[in-house]
Amino acid sequence: MASSPIADLSYRNYDGPLEPPINRWWAIAKMSIRLSLKKKGFWVWAVLSGYWYMILLAVFYFVDAQASVVSGKQNPFFANLVWKDQFLNGFAIGQLLLFVLALLIGAGAIANDNRANALLVYLSKPCSKLDYVVGKWLGIFIPITAVTAVPTLLFYAYCLMSYRSYGFVTQDPWLIVKLFGMILIPGFFHASAALGISSLFQQGRLAGATYAAFYFFGIFFTKAMQSIIVMSGLNDITGSGSSAPAFVKNLYYCSVDGIQIAVAKVILHTDGSPPLAGPGPAAKLGVVPAPSGWIFIPAFFAICGLFMLLAWSRIRAVEVVG
Amino acid sequence: MAIASVHNLVVRYGRFTALNGLSCEIPEGCTGLLGPNGAGKTTLLKTILGFVKPTSGTATILGMDILEAGAAIRQKVGLMPEQDCHIPGMTAVQFVAYAGELAGMPTSQALRRAHEVLDYCGLGEARYRNVETYSTGMKQRIKLAQALVHGPKLLLLDEPTNGLDPAGREDMLELVRSVSHGKGLNVLVSSHLLPDIERVCDRVIVVMKGELRAQGTIKDLKKIEGQPIDIELRELSPAFVAAMQAKGASVMPPKRTTYRIQIKGLPQDAAAIAMQAAKESGAQIRGFSQAERSLEDAFMDAISSSGPPVPPPPAVGGKI
Repeated sequence: MASSPIADLSYRNYDGPLEPPINRWWAIAKMSIRLSLKKKGFWVWAVLSGYWYMILLAVFYFVDAQASVVSGKQNPFFANLVWKDQFLNGFAIGQLLLFVLALLIGAGAIANDNRANALLVYLSKPCSKLDYVVGKWLGIFIPITAVTAVPTLLFYAYCLMSYRSYGFVTQDPWLIVKLFGMILIPGFFHASAALGISSLFQQGRLAGATYAAFYFFGIFFTKAMQSIIVMSGLNDITGSGSSAPAFVKNLYYCSVDGIQIAVAKVILHTDGSPPLAGPGPAAKLGVVPAPSGWIFIPAFFAICGLFMLLAWSRIRAVEVVG
Repeated sequence: MAIASVHNLVVRYGRFTALNGLSCEIPEGCTGLLGPNGAGKTTLLKTILGFVKPTSGTATILGMDILEAGAAIRQKVGLMPEQDCHIPGMTAVQFVAYAGELAGMPTSQALRRAHEVLDYCGLGEARYRNVETYSTGMKQRIKLAQALVHGPKLLLLDEPTNGLDPAGREDMLELVRSVSHGKGLNVLVSSHLLPDIERVCDRVIVVMKGELRAQGTIKDLKKIEGQPIDIELRELSPAFVAAMQAKGASVMPPKRTTYRIQIKGLPQDAAAIAMQAAKESGAQIRGFSQAERSLEDAFMDAISSSGPPVPPPPAVGGKI
């Protein structure tokens, strides 16, 4: 009996279909997303990032169920709510968790490739540098945007079904469109920043630590500005808000979270209010008004552009001699 | 037919000139790219792939211009780089399938082909292991697998036996030899290890300081001017030497019991003269062969020549 294998194990050339050598970015994005979804941490942080919406849902449900409302009158709790501020709060409160998610899936995006010389694999295939950058960017942008979108849109759907009589639609008929704009902000910012910082390193952990330092320094700075604003506002309980100088109010938004919240406020066209608070003088305390969109939206795109430029300049397939 | 033609290629990194007016033709089959470290071998490969823009000159790969059809060329070419390279966080099968997808293969085809190529490269049993846990030999094999997955027409191998132990080196050379012979795949092997090149290649291109120093079949390069012959005797025989010299042959000092003899005329004439001399001197001939130098000697000759680069000969159909 012959001892050779039945199958032909010698090399055979591939003569199957090959797609045209363009738009390879989608293959890179798909694989980046696949690798992100494989991480258990991704799912943990993704679920946690919508925790404020879950709390809101629970509070709304119990207020609905437990409050004794005189027949024919509206529940004052819901009647006083500014609906879009609830979304802004959900967005702002989830920022830290979205940042952790960005670290998890974005910090090593280029740094780990640098360590493993993966660029030689990518660029020896019909992928351009643009394909690589766009693919990697989308590989961070899409998961973060999805994680931002799911709780926001579920909460919107719940409110739409339950609180139309409390002005959920009439307060701002364009809210859903604005929410779609707001949903894109974290993904856009984190994808750009994580790629830019990641491209500077050979280790994902170092890139992550650097981004974290950048993030927490920004938080510290923001809190300092917020303290100044709150202290200034304590002397003014008339409801006109803090008397802190305008530049301090703008500096409040100079952090990773801050600039995203600023753009979200501009898109939603609201100053925001403390969680679960309605309109009124007390609600203005500690609330920093929305900044000028003419400054912050261009600044947002400029910062993202700078990070992308940094990544672009750092990605090279060859070591330069001499 | 040449699969690649390079004309007056100049590549500079700042002030450093890596390729200095290099012109050569890479024929079908398996060709070795020889040169000492820093000769410009890797730069030539990178230029062919479009990683480096040439300062001047042109090159066509599989009929496509490197300046205009970079992506199309890379779809038809497979590169096995010198350095370790992989994509972090992936198993071998994921990595190779992904490399196929990057080259334009549909996902299902890429996965099927990844299994096939990994089997071929001897990684079938380790296909579900993370590539980062692989040994050096396995990493070399997976680099070959990712270069082969999309069925390239030209395979560029940059120091394929780098860092391998003797057994691993043997296996790798056997793999390279088998893909490059009779499989419709053309291979360009860049190395400074002459035995490796001699083992797998039929032709060589010798590069030094970014210039072409020699090119042709290994057999031609090893030929010695004047076509001397080596005659092995049973034992050293001064009488045989005297008889040969009397017939007008020049005899070089022996190596063991082998004399290198140069005589005017055709090799078969030389054989007849040697047989006659042996008969006259009572010497016993045990071997008779066309003398040739080692590839190392040919290489040293080529790189020590300081003249202008050798112009490439016309392409010769040399598919083996």
